[in-house]
Amino acid sequence: TAAAPKVLKMQTSWPASDIWMDFARQYVERVEKMSGGRLKIDLLPAGAVVKAFQVMDAVSDGVLDAAHSVPVYWYGKNKAASLFGTGPVFGGSATTMLAWFNGGGGRELYRELTQDIMGLNVVGLLGFPMPAQPFGWFKTEVNKASDLKGFKYRTVGLAADLLQKMGMSVAQLPGGEIVPAMERGVIDAFEFNNPSSDRRFGAQDVAKNYYLSSYHQASESFEFLFNKDVMEDLDPDLRAILEHGVEAASTANTAIAMDNYSKDLMELQSKEGVTVHRTSKDILSAQLKAWDEIIPTLEADPFMKKVLDSQRTWVERVVFYELMNSPDLALAYDHYFPGKLKL
Amino acid sequence: MSDPIVALLMLALFLFIILLGFPVAFTLMAMGIGFGYYAYFDADRMWRAYNRAIEKADPDQWDRITLWFDGLFNNRIFDLFVNQTFSVMANDVLTAVPLFLFMGYIVERANIVARLFHTLNIAARRVPGSMAVAALITCTLFATATGIVGAVVTLMGLLAFPAMLKARYDTSLAAGVICAGGTLGILIPPSIMLIVYAAASGVSIVKLYAGALFPGLLLAGLYVVYVVVRSMMQPHLAPKPTREEIGDITVPQIVWQLFTSFFPLAFLILAVLGAILFGLATPSEAAAVGALGGLLLTFAYRAFTWQRLRESVYLTVRTTAMVCWLFVGSWTFSSVFSYLGGEQIISEFVTGLEISPIMFLIMAQIIIFILGWPLEWSEIIIIFVPIFLPLLPHFGIDPLFFGILVALNLQTSFLTPPMAMSAYYLKGIAPPHVRLAEIFRGNYPFLAMVVLAMIILYQFPQIAFWLPEQVYGK
Amino acid sequence: MLAYIQFADRLSAWFGKAFAWLILVMAIGVGYEVVVRYGFNAPTSWAFDLSYITYGTLFMMGGAYTLSRGGHVRGDFIYRLWKPRTQAKVELVLYFLFFFPGVLALIISGWKYAERSWRYMEVSVNSPAGIPIFQFKTVIVAAGILLFIQGVAQVFRAILCIRSGEWLIADEDIEETEVQLAKQKGVGPGNFAAGTAREDGRGLKEEYKDELER
Ligand code: NA
Ligand code: NA
Repeated sequence: TAAAPKVLKMQTSWPASDIWMDFARQYVERVEKMSGGRLKIDLLPAGAVVKAFQVMDAVSDGVLDAAHSVPVYWYGKNKAASLFGTGPVFGGSATTMLAWFNGGGGRELYRELTQDIMGLNVVGLLGFPMPAQPFGWFKTEVNKASDLKGFKYRTVGLAADLLQKMGMSVAQLPGGEIVPAMERGVIDAFEFNNPSSDRRFGAQDVAKNYYLSSYHQASESFEFLFNKDVMEDLDPDLRAILEHGVEAASTANTAIAMDNYSKDLMELQSKEGVTVHRTSKDILSAQLKAWDEIIPTLEADPFMKKVLDSQRTWVERVVFYELMNSPDLALAYDHYFPGKLKL
Repeated sequence: MSDPIVALLMLALFLFIILLGFPVAFTLMAMGIGFGYYAYFDADRMWRAYNRAIEKADPDQWDRITLWFDGLFNNRIFDLFVNQTFSVMANDVLTAVPLFLFMGYIVERANIVARLFHTLNIAARRVPGSMAVAALITCTLFATATGIVGAVVTLMGLLAFPAMLKARYDTSLAAGVICAGGTLGILIPPSIMLIVYAAASGVSIVKLYAGALFPGLLLAGLYVVYVVVRSMMQPHLAPKPTREEIGDITVPQIVWQLFTSFFPLAFLILAVLGAILFGLATPSEAAAVGALGGLLLTFAYRAFTWQRLRESVYLTVRTTAMVCWLFVGSWTFSSVFSYLGGEQIISEFVTGLEISPIMFLIMAQIIIFILGWPLEWSEIIIIFVPIFLPLLPHFGIDPLFFGILVALNLQTSFLTPPMAMSAYYLKGIAPPHVRLAEIFRGNYPFLAMVVLAMIILYQFPQIAFWLPEQVYGK
Repeated sequence: MLAYIQFADRLSAWFGKAFAWLILVMAIGVGYEVVVRYGFNAPTSWAFDLSYITYGTLFMMGGAYTLSRGGHVRGDFIYRLWKPRTQAKVELVLYFLFFFPGVLALIISGWKYAERSWRYMEVSVNSPAGIPIFQFKTVIVAAGILLFIQGVAQVFRAILCIRSGEWLIADEDIEETEVQLAKQKGVGPGNFAAGTAREDGRGLKEEYKDELER
């Protein structure tokens, strides 16, 4: 007879209604199937045990066995957290940077940060390279960097430092409070993450200009956190399933993200009267300039310097190959679907 | 014994301990930890370090003992408890509690009540039961400036109550007016009770305030209607004021008095409530501005003293601690309760009854009404109302609507014996010949008005929903 | 025992009152945010953090003070009917069952929680201002220790009450309560407080017990 399955309690940082709960569920389903029922994961939304921003503490303490979150949510404990997904953009996409994590030394740096420097009792992995995050939602058009001055804008993590440098006043609000804050005039522009999540919480009801393409959070991935003791006590094959399940879910997540994000973007335009723009070159280069100012302050910290050096080395080599190698996809798209792109 | 049964045992034991009169916040804390220790008991996790040490090395006796003891306390309930405590400490809805309390304490000390009451009394002189009507309106206005009961009852009990008795008003009628009017402060926004409900239920506090405004005014209106009709039917209960009681006063004088007493307060109230409802500021921000505005008023009325400021500050910390420590206890308690499956078993039981939504609503309100006799609103909202909340979706009841019904309902908890706080406050300051029984008798018609308001609200839910929909859309 | 009770009462009151003044910091800080947001189109990046840090510190540090003045809610409709001696006996037992375990857990686990936060000098994630919160997490431990000290005093109170048959009430420091008013009627409005509302109401109920029973 089969032994009782080992049940792990995993909480996400997302509300029950967010599309990312479905992403986390794909991970859970894969782990349960691959383990032949020896592992069961009890998946809970944000707030079920602890608040969205408290999952790191909870996993380290063993209040939760595992969590599905993003590193930027605990950057209050150490700013270096933000370098694992929401740091400066040297030219790498989320895919490039996830590859850095898995093959370019990022994983060891992350381990050093969480286990050695901070003394946290966790094992963390990154998965699902998120499409670059839109610059977000504005009531009026913004064309030049100077148009941004005085805006009260919502974002999180190092992106907050970035946009403050660009003359915006930044508020960091939990996702659920963004729309009420827009209605109240507490903020007048914001970004969250992607067309599906944005649409689900009603961004289109409070602003009609949606700006895609930005360097503020261009390479984020989900963070899968596990309590270290729980991991170490598992049979090696089960531990491998939990770890490699992240890689499996990453591919599955990409499929539903592509499907849903694109569909929601279409419907935001066709059904909700949203105007979709590309963020102007002027704003993008102002973002890079602002990063230039922030990077030296980050590098004052030796560990952050080490991480940034590692990322630069990786990007310099890998992205050279990526960009030199990649065919002009826009050309092909325009060839088959002419007149659609407005780049 | 299955876990859900343990959860029910936990609830039963808690109800029993409440009867013994031990401070509820600490009872909840200790029971949450005790039952949580059982719920989260995991021998593997707890003695992992001990077992590993034994396997790997051969630790000496002392090390064994310390490791074993470490294991004994290595239960996740302790981390959960600290986490829940911190969640209460960092809760951005509850931040409004001390600020509104402070604002209320400050405004109470600004010497406005007396001016307001005298002015309204003269302005309303032709209305039947004019003095009672003036008292009710004063109470209603004060209800929008303070979020607590007690002070308004005492203030009005010292001021309007003797005045009514002197004007040969019926003792019971006068007492009912003061007790019921003085209790409006916890219903009409900004009220502490609604903030606490918002924190317990997750309903937006701003929407709750918008939703409670008209039901609160409806209840105040019903009180006035009751007083006017009763005074018309039995004029001897509320005799018309004589000329010498009012004195010779011209219309411009009335207007000037209104201007100096009514408008500064009204302006403060409008600024605070308007800022919240029109979304210009969060409730905490509005409360902070209101508290500073209240301080300005005390200066304007030359009522500022350091002593009064000190009182307001110290009372704020005590009342805030009283409310928020209850949250510390109850969040740990209820997370263990639901982890053990207690919430589940109650919800299965209630949904298994196959009652209609209206039956459920009536049942819930009757239970809350009965709880309101022995318990106080803070215990009821923080501990008992959350038991009903998970059932609302099943019956298709909006938690906003439910919350406003509860707030209306809990008005009665201040008026009904044995724990009728409003009645006790009034008794405490009334002339000795006024008997508690007379005060209670005066309260009963107002209780009927509360029930009537609840029925009207049930029949016309738009009274609650209209304003939130106007301001926030559906 | 008497000396200890007085010491604990004074200690709790001192801390409770000292931290009570955070309400002014909170009102002014949050009020300032509203002014600069609307007046100068320049919202602060610290007001939100300030608001919950002051609120949380204020109520946690006021817990022991409130306990010493009997301000925590109790469902006492039966308790009140007992003789003080019976009350004290029950309370003595309940303090050991339902007070010290929770408060000790607060101190010990709170220590673990705060110590880790100190280790990485944790700041708030709510704004780029990087407002420190490790000191805020330490409040859990401090509040627990104050409660523990006051709890011991409450146990001594119960023991004294079992001996003498009468409760020893803490010195009232806020003079203007409803009860006080009841005693010295004729004080003008604006001179008194409502916060001790509950405990006073209870006191009043005591006074009118005869009438209630009639
Ligand atoms: Na984002
Ligand atoms: Na109110």
